[in-house]
Parts: sequence; C-alpha cells; structure tokens
Amino acid sequence: MTPRIAYSASRLALVALLAIVPASLALGLEAEVALDVLPAAALGQEGGMRAQTETTRLLAQLAASHKQSLEENLSLSGTFWADADSLPSGSPLGTPDDKLSISSRLLELGLEWEALPGQLIVELGKKIIHPSSGFFKTPLNMLSRGSASGLIPSTGAAVSTWEEGWVGADLSYLAGNVTIANFFSPRMEWSDSADQSLQYLSQQQDDFNDLLRLGVRIGTADLRLLALASSGGPGSEDPDLRLRLGAGVDANVGDSLTLRAECSVADSQDRLDVVDEKLLTSRDESVAWAPRALAGFTWTGPNELSVMAEYYYNGLGMTGSDYDRLIDYSVNRLSLPGAPGPDILDQFGGFEAARHYCFARVAGQLETDLAPALFSVVNLQDYSGMTGVNLAYTRDAWALSGSIADYWGGKDTEAGLSPVLWSIDLQLSLFF
Amino acid sequence: MTTFFAIAVAMLSLGSAFAPAWAESPAELLKSIDDRLSIPDMRFEIRVTSFEDGKQKDYNRIWGFVKGSETEDSRILLYFVEPASVKGRKMLMDGNIVYLLFPRTRNPIRLSPLQVLLGEASNGDVARTEFSKDYDVASLEDAALDGEPCQLFKLSAKEGKKDSTYRSISLWVEKSSERPVYAEFFASDGKLLKKAYYKDYGPAEGRDFPYTMDIFDAENPDRHTTLTYTKIGRLVVRDTVFSRDYLEAWTAEAPK
Repeated sequence: MTPRIAYSASRLALVALLAIVPASLALGLEAEVALDVLPAAALGQEGGMRAQTETTRLLAQLAASHKQSLEENLSLSGTFWADADSLPSGSPLGTPDDKLSISSRLLELGLEWEALPGQLIVELGKKIIHPSSGFFKTPLNMLSRGSASGLIPSTGAAVSTWEEGWVGADLSYLAGNVTIANFFSPRMEWSDSADQSLQYLSQQQDDFNDLLRLGVRIGTADLRLLALASSGGPGSEDPDLRLRLGAGVDANVGDSLTLRAECSVADSQDRLDVVDEKLLTSRDESVAWAPRALAGFTWTGPNELSVMAEYYYNGLGMTGSDYDRLIDYSVNRLSLPGAPGPDILDQFGGFEAARHYCFARVAGQLETDLAPALFSVVNLQDYSGMTGVNLAYTRDAWALSGSIADYWGGKDTEAGLSPVLWSIDLQLSLFF
Repeated sequence: MTTFFAIAVAMLSLGSAFAPAWAESPAELLKSIDDRLSIPDMRFEIRVTSFEDGKQKDYNRIWGFVKGSETEDSRILLYFVEPASVKGRKMLMDGNIVYLLFPRTRNPIRLSPLQVLLGEASNGDVARTEFSKDYDVASLEDAALDGEPCQLFKLSAKEGKKDSTYRSISLWVEKSSERPVYAEFFASDGKLLKKAYYKDYGPAEGRDFPYTMDIFDAENPDRHTTLTYTKIGRLVVRDTVFSRDYLEAWTAEAPK
C-alpha cells in the first residue's frame, strides 16, 4: 500500500494539480483524470457467521505528465499523481479510517541526457522499468511496486496505469540491433521525522537494486535478457545478496499473430507453508529457483477482432497434495469464528496460489468508438476463476468504460475462497 | 486507432518530382516513380480524417519521421498529438514490425501488421507502399483517366512478398506531369480493396509532392479517409533513433 503523506499537504498538492490541469493545453502537459465507481460484494465474518458485505468504492485519480527539453539532448520529465479514495484498502471488508483518503505522489521525475544522441542515454531520477510483454502476468517486471492507488485493473491486465517508480540511475547504450542498459537504485532510508517530505518524492527503498538488461533483435524477434541483483544492505533483516534472472522473446508470425514468452527465476523466495491444515499451523520456508513463466499470443482477425491467450506457470505456487492442503487449510480457517491463523492463501495475491493458470481475452470494435472485451482467468488445478466483461466508449477528450467481474468456483477452490463475490467498475476518464 | 499511424507514415513515401525523364524498362520506370515519391529523412505533420456517409468519424494529428533505405523497408516514428485521448502515443514502424508505446508505460507493445491495418488503418498501408521494393511490373500500357492521358502500371507482389495485404496494384501515372494520380489495390483473389487518389501536388523539399491522399473503401465508397500533410521538412537523425528501445527516450517535437 502506498504510504500516505500528511492530509493537509496532500490536499494542497491536489488543489495545486487541479489548478494546473486547465492550463495543460498551453503548457503541453498530458493529463488524465479518472473517476471510478466500484460497487463490490465480499463474504466476511460477523460474529462467527459468514455474511455478505456490499460497498461502493469511489476513487478519483488525476495524473499529469510532461517532458520538457531543457537544451539539446537534455530533458526533464515527470508524472505527478493524486487520488481521493473512499476505500483505500480496496476491499469491501476493509473499514476506512476516513470518509475520504487523499494522497499524492511523484510517480516519476528525472533528467535524461543523451550523451551520444540516439546512442548513449543517461537518466537520473525516479523511473519505472517494465520489460515484460505479458498481459495477465508479468514475470519480467522484476522491479514493480504495483498500482499507486491499489486499484486492480478491471480489464484483466496485470499492470495498472499509474505506478510509482524507483529512484536511481539508468544508463542505456543502443547499437544497431542491440541495446544494453543498467539501472542502479540505491538503498534509501531516512528518519521518521523526514518521512513527511521525503516520502512525497519516493517511498523508502530498503533494498539496493541493480538491474541489467540486454535487448537483441534477431531477425524479426526481440530477445530480452535480464539480471537483477539486490540486497537489503547493512543492518537490514535480509542483508544477503539476492539474484533474479529473466529472459523473454516477442515475435510475429504472419500478418495476424504476435507471440510472446518470458521466464524469470529467483535464487530464493519466501512463503508461508501449511504444516497442519486441521490445526491451522504454518511455517516459513524459502523456495530456491522457483520459475515464473508466461507464454501467449494475440491473434488479430477481420473487423478488428482480437483474441489473446496466455498460459502462466507459477513456480512459487502449490501443486498436488500441497495445494490440496492449502485449500483445506483455508476452508477450515474460514469455518472457525474469527478466522484464526494466518491467511496463507492471501499471501500469494490474486491467482498466484496454484502452479498453472490460463487467461483469455476476446476484444472487438462495434463502432469506431465502442470496444467490448470479454476476459477470463482459469486456475487449471481446481478449475475456478474469474470472468469479466468490459465495454469502453472513447471520444476525443473523454472515455467511459464499464466492467463487471464474477469470481466462480466451488467452496474448496482458490476463486471460490476469494472474499470477493463480484465487482463492477464504472470509469470516466477525461484527457487534457 | 493504430490505424491512423500507419496512415501517417504513408505520406512519407508520397512525393513526386518533375524529375528525370522516364527510364527505359518498366522496372526502371517504377523505380524512378518511387524515387520521386520519397523524401529522404523526412519529418512531417499529417492530419488523418476518416469519414462515413459524409460525416467525420475520426481525426488524428500526428508528427513523424521517416528513415528510408535503398535496400530495406522504411522506418517511421510517429507521435500522436491529437485528439487528447491518444495524445502522447508513440509508434515505430520497422517494415512489418510495429511497436506502440502508450503514455506512462515503459514497454512498447508489438503489434501484428494486421492490427495496424485494421479497418481504415489499411489506408496507411496503401499510402506507404513503396512500389518497386514490393512489386514487379506485370504490364505497362497507355490509358486515360478522366480524359487525361496516363500510363497504367499493373503491379504484382514480388516473390517473398506474396503475403502482402495487396497482391496486385494498378497505378495510373499522368503522362504530362509524371505524377501518380490514382491507384487501385487488390487482394490475392483479385478483389478490389481500396482506391486512392493522390492530389494537391506542391513543392516540398525540392520535390513535387502530393499533399493530400484520399483513400476509399472499395466495398463501401461512403467510407473514406483523407490524409493531409500540413508540414514537411527534413531532419537527419541516427539510425538507432528508429529502434524499439529508443521509443521511450524519444522527445517528439513539432516539425518546422
């Protein structure tokens, strides 16, 4: 969850940003305001009984981006973001502290210098690095903080529109069909007293990260190789050096098919494992070299029809009897008053507890401005999942979209155990 | 949306000059037309407007650069300026490979050629065709267009280019001015897909350039797209600028 800055400071920032937006055309800013109305229903526990809770989340987000040339081969760019949220937890079961939580942050801000124009690029500041081509899951996005607002995209996409970057230095060298780049992000911590101002610029970075990327074009295929070294640094709870490796490829086949495949693997990852599903006991364990892999395609047909399918292999997820025990544990935990014991299923996040998943999406264009899409996620181990429909109407300066998603599966399945029963997202976007 | 991009690109290739006299062989004639249709290192602003039943359906204003090559397909960088809903999108077209980078995202999406050619987008393909690279001259004959004497080139896709969207093209070139004025684009089954008119010739970087191109859907003539160049210039930039990994760093500036 994004740390929140002081309410008053946030409010001032939001007002300031609102004042900026009308001038955006003159200043050359790219700005977007998104208003989300999200009714949702979830199953929670009340006095030992499971009861349905329905809540409507109201979320207003505003972001403004700008890239300004300072002089030849030197530019400054940044993205400012603010939100007002009636349900910061994002869960119908979460109780908001305030009626409306307001926050704002700089998602990106940095200087970019083309030391050798078009060939050697140096960037200093805060930036996002997303090498993954995946839609449903993104194994190659090794440095990612997730959505700034905590809002999960209602289109089935893994990456949200607005995310906070990392402070560091990035060096890229482009030569013909080869690109090599390195991003170094230092460990940054400060005292609590400095949080109010410094966290406005960036969340604390407990780890140092060094991400090396190599991109090669072979024929018509794009190959990417990545290596991430990170450490909690001196004094942290996890001072060990950790390594994560990744590779991905994108290619076209004929005029209508694009293919993508990628894989990443970490030398060790922590998770909570079930010891006894009846006694609801668990233990910490470290999993070595568990791969995450994704393979998929997008096929484009006549009349702007597109079909996307992706298979996701999650090495950190459970399988076989381990998965059965995880499900039994979760069922037993929910059957007891107060839900004792840690929520082991929740530790994985959405559709990450099992080993095998698939995703499919069919989208089209009814009119120039009207685009429907149907998407579905399936857990291939217990055949539960989530299915959603999205309809977007886009005009020159605004867009209106609506999504509805239903979680389905038996009571002893991953999706069936999700507290979320259904959710609706109505979004109005204004572009400046 | 991807549509328009391609279209923008299109114009790159269109530009003719009252240059050299006709060469001798039909292939050389076609090459000389291509030469007159291309401005090396071209930078431009283009407006793409789609109509249906006389009503405007869509409109885009785009800035772009083109990098041509004798032996390879042109590479084109596009930046979407208008409308606000697409502002900030960047596109790189490298032969049949197309990358699209949305604002505030960090990884260009790879599009299939058909995604770019969808709907009106196919107009883009029409506009950016470099005839002699992709097509052989099947026949060359005298013909008239609206009473004006022309030479009619009948072109067929080269071996290795048989999967092109347009298997064959009929191109009318005005005899008096040596300007391409009209073209018809056919599918592999001989079906007429598009018709294109090259108009509003004027000087651009020392050439005689068609500033407007009208493309009509052959099946539904009420649907057409107009591409109009509003600015044309030249800017020499490094080859590496036309690469996927440079899209994020590229700072688009209005053509002068």
